[in-house]
Amino acid sequence: MFNLKTKILIVDDMLTMRKIVSKVLREIGFSDITEACDGKEAWQKLTTTQEPFGLIISDWNMPNMTGLDFLKQVRADKKFCKTPFLLVTAEAEQHQVAEAIKSGVDQYVIKPFSQDNLKAKLEMAHKKVAARISA
Amino acid sequence: MKKYLLEKTETYNLLKLGDVLTFNENREFEIDIETFLLGAQHPFIVDFSVVETLSKDWVRSLMRLQLGLKKKHQMMKLVSVSPNIFSFLKKEGIDTAFQIAPTLKEALQDLGLGTKRSLDTEFINPFLDATLHVLDIQAQIKSKPGKLCLKKNEKEFQSDISGIIGIVSETFNGSVVISFPEKTFLKVMSSMLGDNFTEINKDILDGAGEITNMIFGQAKISLNEKGYGIKTALPSVVHGKSHILTTQTKGPIVVIPFESTAGNFHVEICLSN
Repeated sequence: MFNLKTKILIVDDMLTMRKIVSKVLREIGFSDITEACDGKEAWQKLTTTQEPFGLIISDWNMPNMTGLDFLKQVRADKKFCKTPFLLVTAEAEQHQVAEAIKSGVDQYVIKPFSQDNLKAKLEMAHKKVAARISA
Repeated sequence: MKKYLLEKTETYNLLKLGDVLTFNENREFEIDIETFLLGAQHPFIVDFSVVETLSKDWVRSLMRLQLGLKKKHQMMKLVSVSPNIFSFLKKEGIDTAFQIAPTLKEALQDLGLGTKRSLDTEFINPFLDATLHVLDIQAQIKSKPGKLCLKKNEKEFQSDISGIIGIVSETFNGSVVISFPEKTFLKVMSSMLGDNFTEINKDILDGAGEITNMIFGQAKISLNEKGYGIKTALPSVVHGKSHILTTQTKGPIVVIPFESTAGNFHVEICLSN
């Protein structure tokens, strides 16, 4: 599991969903949580912060820049290409999941989700990241 | 990276081609044709909407795919072919070798797949199930559907806050709305966010949109597995005491009333072909 001190960036255009994700993460035990309302703001926070983010949780379906496009931008940058990345989506169809995996997502979470769902996905993502680092 | 993507629905295969299709990109496609043909139980629609350049190798491959499909008694249609690509096919003397339809919608109609969709239980139940599931999982609220009815006029079923999302596909359009009285919405949001909200403010306003988005997303997965081809959409929110909603879609509106541990609310589904 991720260290509970991990610095987390939540990206979602819907304030309510940012609050839901943040609430569930706090219930799990995380406390260092930053929110961004779209890919542009998230990129700005990612690139200007001194202490790097240890996990990004982004919505998929956002105006201007989708979560998938944000993921591609993150993965294309040397500095952030290994940052654990979870996509949250309400409509994961097979071809979409395949595209996200191809683009380097570590896990995807389907809305609606419970605390147990998110915790399980975080554990799976952590294992995947650990395997990637040791490879 | 592959310059094509195959999307399978319950009634047809949609092969989306990329922008520049040259000899290099063709080698992988040639190999995949065998896989496509192995599982070809439905017609193929080849989407040319973004194709700018097409090499002769690709034309040969598409003809090979078409021949293979013919042997399996399946048809192939090209759609959204640009004037440039059509001129190229004509110059090569092969424009009549393919069946070309202007749009996916017309191709589906030609293939007898553009059948009318109706507001039947197959279409409504995924929204009903999704509503129960979303409120249960995300807000720990148990709901029970009441008797479905048709909305006779727009003044019926007024509410205080509504989340709306458009249902868009190649063959039909519609909308799904979830409407709450203020009291119910505040209880739902309080439970969802673990806070006690006493008024609708900017912090929770988009919650109605997010709930609609989740219901739509869940129902979309289920309906698209049955070949409905519903596209992704973004929700919007209407807030106002006893507001009236008017839909642009000309079609019947089915209302599903719900009773829940947070109070009453209702879902409206509208569909027109």
